[in-house]
Amino acid sequence: MVIPKHILGTFDEALASLRNNVLMMSGLTERSLERAMKGLVNRDDNICANAIADDEEIDQLEKQIDKDGVDILLRFQPVASDLRRVVSAMKLSSNLERMADQATTIARRARKLNQHPPLPEVELVKPMYEHAMSMFKDSVDAFVREDVDLGRAVVPRDEKLDELNRMASHKLVERMAQDPKQLRGYLNLIFIGRCLERVGDHATNIAEDAVYAAAAEDIRHQTLAASV
Amino acid sequence: MTTPERSVMDRVDRPAEPMRAEEAVSACTFRIKNLSIWYGEKRAIDDVTLDIASNAVTAIIGPSGCGKSTFIRSLNRMHELVPRTRVEGTVLLQGEDLYSSDVDPAIVRRRVGMVFQKSNPFPTMSIGENVIIGLRLNGVRNQKFLNERLEKSLRMAALWDEVKDDLHKSGTSLSGGQQQRLCIARALAVEPEVLLMDEPCSALDPIATAKIEELIYELKTNYTIVTVTHNMQQAGRISDYTAFFYLGRLIEFGLTTKIFTNPSQKQTEDYITGRFG
Repeated sequence: MVIPKHILGTFDEALASLRNNVLMMSGLTERSLERAMKGLVNRDDNICANAIADDEEIDQLEKQIDKDGVDILLRFQPVASDLRRVVSAMKLSSNLERMADQATTIARRARKLNQHPPLPEVELVKPMYEHAMSMFKDSVDAFVREDVDLGRAVVPRDEKLDELNRMASHKLVERMAQDPKQLRGYLNLIFIGRCLERVGDHATNIAEDAVYAAAAEDIRHQTLAASV
Repeated sequence: MTTPERSVMDRVDRPAEPMRAEEAVSACTFRIKNLSIWYGEKRAIDDVTLDIASNAVTAIIGPSGCGKSTFIRSLNRMHELVPRTRVEGTVLLQGEDLYSSDVDPAIVRRRVGMVFQKSNPFPTMSIGENVIIGLRLNGVRNQKFLNERLEKSLRMAALWDEVKDDLHKSGTSLSGGQQQRLCIARALAVEPEVLLMDEPCSALDPIATAKIEELIYELKTNYTIVTVTHNMQQAGRISDYTAFFYLGRLIEFGLTTKIFTNPSQKQTEDYITGRFG
């Protein structure tokens, strides 16, 4: 469905600019996570440093999106779908910024790991990374395409990520007992797993915001609401 | 260290009786069914069916010429002042058909007061006379009663403190916002059941507008209010229900929060988001 333009052209321009910055921030966050993981797997400190450096630009974009969002609220007083898009964009930027923080943490932990002999247990966090990134990309797609079904489908996938994290942590704790010399390395891997699990949480938030933006439906905390 | 410890929750203001707009709809002041209105050959209102909730504010929105003013005026038969009008359908006020042949339009207008876009105090009358003229025309002569009603109406219109020492001055000596509140006081003096407002703030500055909006919020405790507005933000601020009209038809009616966050009809969405035309 083609959405007709606003009578006020400047309103369309402001919304387009906001959306563009969200897309830019999503792209940079995705790149930062990819670099952090590549730095870990390839044991490359330079790539880790790049991932950490990305964070500054992402932080600035978060501020820009907040500023643009407030500016739109002030100048155009949006309602209905426009209001939902602006509010969701501002919430998205907050989640993206925190995802990028997770990428920074992963990169820092990876640099610490790179100072020691390689650990084959790195393989344990790879499936978590694949799953978290898939959730992240789908949640952003759901927002961009206003795809309610895709947004809804992302949310339950977080459970699998939590399960993968539990399994990886369990195995890493076992390894700590068996090989106490590598305790710091295993701990770093546990923290990286925790970061990826958080990436999934943020992707879930983005998917929920995407559903709200597209369909004005609040699908957060539904398990709790159902039990109440 | 005598101050007792307070939890964060102690600092939360909790309204004793939170307003629930959903409940208000069960009690209706107006029940409008299949209402159509013609001016000569032109059909201004086309088959509108709508219930207007008691003690709530209903905002009527829509582009110019969509029938908003005709609709609101049909609720106290003011539109009949235009020649060659014709009405079909029913408008029930507390269950009574306003268009029944035995109903006196003057009585209807006493029960359903109206405030217009431009304040219109009677220029030859004082502030006090403006307020009580409706009662005088209805034959009330008891000065004590008139004085009491004068003060009560001006207090309800949040104007008493500003004019109590100048009641003898001309109504037109007041500012635009005060004049509009004077007109509200005049409408309230005859103790109507409903207050109709046709763009009551469109000629006022933001401060006067805020005072009228605050007043509307307070008045709905005792009155059913129907207001026409072109200002979407105002509709969002002051109303509990919103009706969107287009080309004489009622396109959508519902809770204001719903209409302004997730309207059901594309025409409503396009209009309120500024995509119309």
